[in-house]
Amino acid sequence: MSFILEARDVSKVYQMGSTTVAALDHVSVTVNAGEFAAIQGTSGSGKSTLLNVLGGLDHPTAGEILFDSKPLAPLSKKAMARYRRNSVGMIFQGFNLIPTMSAEENVSLALAFAGVRGSQRRKRAQELLDRVGLADRLTHRPTELSGGEQQRVAIARALANRPRVLLADEPTGNLDSTRAHELLTLLRAMVATDALTIIMVTHDHELAQTFADRIILMKDGAVVKKDEG
Amino acid sequence: MSFLDILYLALRNLRQAKLRAVLTTMGVIVGVAVIVTMVSFGLGLQQNMLARFKALDLFNEMSVFGKSLSTLASGLDRGRQDADSGGDRRGPRLRPDKAPTRILDDAAIAEIAKIPGVAYVEPSIGFPVFVRANGHVQTQYVGGATVPNASSRFKDFVGGQMISSPDADEAVVNERFTREFGFARPEDAVGKTIEFLTPLDEQKGQARESKNEEVPSGFFGLPLDDQESAEAKAGNLAAHSFRIAGVLNTELKEGAGQGGMRGLFPGAGIYVPLKTARQWIIDHRGPMSQVALALARESGALSSSGLEGYDSAVVRVTNPVVLTEVRKRLTELGFGSFSIVDQLDQIRTVFLIIDSVLGLLGGISLLVASFGIANTMIMSILERTREIGIMKAIGAEDREIKLIFFVEAAVLGLTGGVIGTLFAWGIDGIANRAAYRFILKPQGASFIDFFSIPPYLWLGAILFALVVSIVAALYPATRAARIDPVKALRHD
Ligand SMILES: Nc1ncnc2c1ncn2[C@@H]1O[C@H](COP(=O)(O)OP(=O)(O)OP(=O)(O)O)[C@@H](O)[C@H]1O
Ligand SMILES: [Mg+2]
Repeated sequence: MSFILEARDVSKVYQMGSTTVAALDHVSVTVNAGEFAAIQGTSGSGKSTLLNVLGGLDHPTAGEILFDSKPLAPLSKKAMARYRRNSVGMIFQGFNLIPTMSAEENVSLALAFAGVRGSQRRKRAQELLDRVGLADRLTHRPTELSGGEQQRVAIARALANRPRVLLADEPTGNLDSTRAHELLTLLRAMVATDALTIIMVTHDHELAQTFADRIILMKDGAVVKKDEG
Repeated sequence: MSFLDILYLALRNLRQAKLRAVLTTMGVIVGVAVIVTMVSFGLGLQQNMLARFKALDLFNEMSVFGKSLSTLASGLDRGRQDADSGGDRRGPRLRPDKAPTRILDDAAIAEIAKIPGVAYVEPSIGFPVFVRANGHVQTQYVGGATVPNASSRFKDFVGGQMISSPDADEAVVNERFTREFGFARPEDAVGKTIEFLTPLDEQKGQARESKNEEVPSGFFGLPLDDQESAEAKAGNLAAHSFRIAGVLNTELKEGAGQGGMRGLFPGAGIYVPLKTARQWIIDHRGPMSQVALALARESGALSSSGLEGYDSAVVRVTNPVVLTEVRKRLTELGFGSFSIVDQLDQIRTVFLIIDSVLGLLGGISLLVASFGIANTMIMSILERTREIGIMKAIGAEDREIKLIFFVEAAVLGLTGGVIGTLFAWGIDGIANRAAYRFILKPQGASFIDFFSIPPYLWLGAILFALVVSIVAALYPATRAARIDPVKALRHD
């Protein structure tokens, strides 16, 4: 069968003066549609870099990324923007909400870039926030929300344009274990109901084992174990 | 993303740094206000001046010159001679551009009248004469007037009307004449008789010569003492009588006119029908003129019974636009011509230079403002690097990011442009009022609008501010679009 997302022999090398840092070192990963994969690894092992490359935010130094069996490399800047907008949704390590915008505006912005207009945009944004349990926090700014609430706004934003793949970098990082369980239950449900594919970075092995279909283990920029779960 | 969303984001950005946006706009306001005020002053100056010229009929009239009698007599090119000697410095030089080669007689006048675009031609003719009226005697300059007359000189009467027919023994006088001849009110002169005095001796030579020599041209007559008028009554003088048909209003004539001139036509205190005036000159020729006529006939420049033509005539065109064409035609026909438009072209050039300099000064202040805009944009981008990174990460195109910043700059430029124009308009209004209050009114002058803000000026200024702002945002916007989302989002 074909994979929805695939990294083929991908390297990302940073030149730091005379030395080079390989954030990714010949990484090959495949993800099936409807799969919930977890990436684990020590700090600095290249997890975020891999997500950025998969999400079309960063270009690999070598190797290629394929979405729906089609390589991303030949895409124009504009097509890459469209890919980021419609095909994948990203939850960044540390939320990255726009601090001057309310929860609803943050979600609306993603819809606006996709060309959703007026009342439809409003409706969809409220629906998304309602789904992550923030129906009564629409007008709150990020600073007026708890860490967990901010994280859920970020999830609502990532899902705004009905992406096929959700790339989540430490989505439970700021949550206590009860909240984390709730959140992952929600994501797990989405995999089932929305035919969503999730690739989630987490340092919590217990959570990964409970919710993910399989765990990809990284070390020093390389994949050391692909546990088919 | 729709344009409205982009506009919303741009306005939102500006709102977040209100003070900075206001200060930046202030720069644009000052720049635009300076441009509009300065240029509007230049344009106003020009407009006021041209309006005055227009009121004086200087735009659609020109003088046309034929060969003068002295030229005919001596064979010398008088026009060129004058040009070489630098000419007469006492007034405007109503001289032909080219020396005429033809005589300006009645046939020539008729020919000129037929040139397309010519409204009418009126020969300029006049002579000095002793005039008796209301018990006073004075020398006066008498002009010949075509009857009926279409020119604006004979439109404004204080009393009476224009001479009734080309053969009538009627005259039109001006207001000053009525004062000088002791009429209580100008209207009182209407219907009265004036007499042009000539020596009784119809041999036209010696008797009149001595009279002419006695009276310098600048002499302003006094009422003659009883002895002299008695002499006149005794039969040494003949008199030709005219009835005063109308009194012209001289008071309204302003500027270059000074009560004497409207258009290019030389002024006179008395006007009689053209034919009468011409006949008078032929009948009462001075010795110099007689010699010149004899010489001209002798040399063959005139036939044995031929007469000289008019020195000049005023040609009025239907539309100032055709003036140059009519002039060209006149030159082809062999006449010289003079038109104020020659001078006007130079005036226009001067104004163009003035306006450009004024506009340039304003342009410099707007240039300074554009640096302010660029600075504001760059600051705003530095502050919002992360935000821009987020936008790109969630799918914003480079083009959209750029557009947000261009719209931001355009809003600054447009706001500054509009407010700046309003400012300039206000400044103009205040300056006009102040000038009226403190300068014009104390002198009894009426209100003058010193400024002119035509639509092209304010529209142009606003557009210019807009363009300058967008150009200023060129670099910042490109820089914003190039922000690397991975770097911008890396949390630390
Ligand atoms: N722009 C860069 N220049 C140089 N080195 C970089 C750059 N970005 C990342 N790196 C290096 O690449 C490696 C992988 O970074 P990455 O952010 O992917 O780690 P991570 O696995 O997400 O770590 P964490 O769990 O702490 O988030 C790190 O050693 C980092 O120092
Ligand atoms: Mg990371």
